[in-house]
Amino acid sequence: MKIDRRLIFNFDWMLLLFVLLIVCAGIVNLYSAGYGISGEPYLKQIRWVFLGLFVMFLTFAFDYRWIARYGYWVHGLALLLLIAVFVVGAVTKGSQRWITLGGFSIQPSELVKITLILALAKYFNDHRLEGKYGIRELVVPFLIVLAPFVLVLKQPDLGTALMLMILFGSMVLFVGIRWKTLLSLCAIALMIIPLGWNFLAEYQRERVLTFIDPERDPLGSGYHIIQSIIAIGSGGIFGKGFMRGTQSQLKFLPEQQTDFVFSVFAEEWGFLGTVLVLVLFLVLILWGLKIAQHSRDYLGTLIAYGVTMMIFWGVFINVAMVLGILPVVGIPLPFFSYGGSSMVKMMVATGLLMNVSMRRYVLQS
Amino acid sequence: MLEKPDKLVRYDPGEYRQRFTFFFWVILVAICLLVMRLWYLQIIKGEDLLKRSENNRIRIRDVKAMRGIILDSRGVVLVENRPSFDVVIFPEDVKDLQGLVEKLVALYAKVNLTFPMDYETILENRRPFTPLRVDRNVSREKLALIETHSLELPGVGIDVMPVREYYYGESMAHIIGYIGEVSRDDLERDKSSSYKSGDLIGKFGLEKALDRFIRGKAGGEQVEVNVIGKKVKTLGRVEPVQGYRVVLSLDSQVQKAAWTAMDGKAGAVVALDPRDGSVIALVSRPGFDPNLFNRGITSELWEKLSSNPLHPMENRAIAGQYPPGSTYKLIVAAAALEEGVITPETSFNCPGHFDLGNHTFRCWRKQGHGRISLHRAIVESCDVYFYNVGKLLGVDRLAQYAQAFGLGARTGVALTGERRGLIPTREWKLTRFGVAWQPGETISLAIGQGYNTVTPIQLANAYAAVANNGEYFTPRIVQRIETDDGEIIEEFRPEKKAVLPVSQENIQLLKKALWGVVNEPGGTGGQARVAGRDVAGKTGTAQVIGMPAGDDGAAYPYEYRDHALFVSFAPRDNPEIAVAVVVEHGGHGASAAAPVAKKVIEAYFEGKKKP
Repeated sequence: MKIDRRLIFNFDWMLLLFVLLIVCAGIVNLYSAGYGISGEPYLKQIRWVFLGLFVMFLTFAFDYRWIARYGYWVHGLALLLLIAVFVVGAVTKGSQRWITLGGFSIQPSELVKITLILALAKYFNDHRLEGKYGIRELVVPFLIVLAPFVLVLKQPDLGTALMLMILFGSMVLFVGIRWKTLLSLCAIALMIIPLGWNFLAEYQRERVLTFIDPERDPLGSGYHIIQSIIAIGSGGIFGKGFMRGTQSQLKFLPEQQTDFVFSVFAEEWGFLGTVLVLVLFLVLILWGLKIAQHSRDYLGTLIAYGVTMMIFWGVFINVAMVLGILPVVGIPLPFFSYGGSSMVKMMVATGLLMNVSMRRYVLQS
Repeated sequence: MLEKPDKLVRYDPGEYRQRFTFFFWVILVAICLLVMRLWYLQIIKGEDLLKRSENNRIRIRDVKAMRGIILDSRGVVLVENRPSFDVVIFPEDVKDLQGLVEKLVALYAKVNLTFPMDYETILENRRPFTPLRVDRNVSREKLALIETHSLELPGVGIDVMPVREYYYGESMAHIIGYIGEVSRDDLERDKSSSYKSGDLIGKFGLEKALDRFIRGKAGGEQVEVNVIGKKVKTLGRVEPVQGYRVVLSLDSQVQKAAWTAMDGKAGAVVALDPRDGSVIALVSRPGFDPNLFNRGITSELWEKLSSNPLHPMENRAIAGQYPPGSTYKLIVAAAALEEGVITPETSFNCPGHFDLGNHTFRCWRKQGHGRISLHRAIVESCDVYFYNVGKLLGVDRLAQYAQAFGLGARTGVALTGERRGLIPTREWKLTRFGVAWQPGETISLAIGQGYNTVTPIQLANAYAAVANNGEYFTPRIVQRIETDDGEIIEEFRPEKKAVLPVSQENIQLLKKALWGVVNEPGGTGGQARVAGRDVAGKTGTAQVIGMPAGDDGAAYPYEYRDHALFVSFAPRDNPEIAVAVVVEHGGHGASAAAPVAKKVIEAYFEGKKKP
């Protein structure tokens, strides 16, 4: 393959810088969060980062138009993996989310977020409308999201399933939807929610009820959120200092390397630290929107917009969750939470952004 | 525009470029919302939540103080402390109590043990921030079991309780006593004590009487715990202060000898130093093992102890009330001499019986002693002689002297449960029974039978008074209380109680007679003779019921047999030890009690040889 020198010239160093800054903060935090835990999670996470950087390179090495061409296939493959989870998947904490491939445990529900964006971007790129989308034009994209949604919900993993729907909703809002259609879809959703309540597992209902009133079961399901709020609040303005978080070091915090990793950070670095990290994320997200806005073509806009929203929702939902604004749903904090699948997914997302960004001036080859 | 074969077509985003403003604002508002929430939690509520995080990790735990040790007069350690391990639950560190209890039950069951508490009991007894003891005094293997599974048992810990190791067990149980868990009454009575529920307090004997000296002062520890209540590090510690050391006047060697000599018997031995009232030995048989009380005695064991007809918990040496029998003759003789009723030369004829009205009082020697004077009457313990003396003396004058010898009143030894005994008078009988005193009763009284009862320690002290030429002391069992470094906190000096209203001349006379009891031919106390030690003493056989003459009572049921008594001191000149022995239902004082006194006296002098 002939490398266009403009690709290198237009390489988005700022994007890489933002991501690496966040990743480094994440690893430092993980060193503290996982201190004393066998296997040294931060070391594993560094390995995942390098794997992620390699995958990121692969992702931006090929023109996103080539990649999007296989969008449906890739999405289909992810769906197959989701089905495979039920056949060979390992059950942890009551849900079946993992499959083991060649020594790696992977979480297909993380990867399907990327393939969903690709598939939807391809669909909306292929089916552009002059006006706004109505219900009939949305049937196919809805099916594209419904398949993974149902499969993930079955695992059961309510958080990720809702995340898929939110990504779908974000895409639809962007491409434009008729007001009438939007309102009727909202009405349908409102009707489905009480029905859906019956389909929730007992622990999921508990979580929702606990979210409404964490103190109703302070030793049970409310425990997590109370401990998280104590950890965050006790950090104060300047934090307790690196490795000095009592809530985290003494393991009062639940899931402190994964879903509640931000609480560890907030306890040790305080308000100044948390605002700094949120600003970093905000800059990254706005940078992503800028890439989408300045994309050379519509497909690039859709992909960049999609992955940016994925990062945004990941950050927002996770942080809102540990702050007690949203119920506890298992959504990891991008680049921060321990976990290979999440890290690789975020690196692929970065790769896609990079892909769109560096090709904005490239002429048709 | 022609589509290229590779279909890498481009469409211009066109008006879509304008749509980002909306999403820009959505994202900005969302992030601002998070920052506001962080502001609220970390800055507005920061202080409160910091306190809550401190409460999470910091626990104040008691560090129990060790009780003071107890030594005998030679510095032999009688009581020390040893650790006892309890399995405790820290309620604030337990999230799922029922699950935890199930886990514990399963864990115990795995090694064929039963967990002593069930969920309901634990639920009932749990108090916030108070470790709940669910299994006390656990074995080493249980300890290992809990420790190895500690990660699966959040909120379960091991607490060390210092408990007592009573090296002399039964033989000193009545003096030293025992400890037990503080009761609600104890806590309410003594609000100034730093005791908390679950602590150990002295319940009996010196452990109880000297508790405020022995208890020490509990320390505290501020510890950092992790989420399962395991101690991570100590943040601060106030060391506990061990209780003061108690030095007794007791001699453990003599005590041991007395205990052994009483083997298989019920009764008491009291050995005093006549020169200052120090208690050298004090034994009450049967005894009980105070080590069993350390961590709460089981109900069946308690049942066994309290239903034992011999009442092993009673300290007979100070609470056993016995008719003094012939040992009383010393007091009768002293009274008669002082009152001028008789002179040392006065003699009476003993035909083996004494008649008063239509009642006949027998002498223990059926064939009688013939004409006999005071000295031989004491040596041979002639009853008829003393019937005559008693008749001349009268009940009230006798009582006056008996009281002067310290009988019928508590000696004041620092032990709980001491009883008075009884010295009857005319007035007493009239108020007590509403019946006038009968002359015949005085006759019995003269040989120590009838209403009068004495305790072994009273007897020992009365004889010690004679031994010490009339001056006697309040028996003293604790010499001093001191710190570990030997700094004296409180010293118990010999406390002079009274002087006998008996002339030195008469005292010497009586001492000589008592020496004769043991050392002269025909004396009743020959079995107490110790070569070269000039033992002086008096035998006594106290009737429980009237028996025909010459019957040794062996055919009677145990509880009707006579009590055997022997009271003595040695050496005759400058006595160092006075010993009273009572063997309940032991038969004759000469055969059952005197050998015990002999062994005690021997042990005392044996011990003196050693440095």
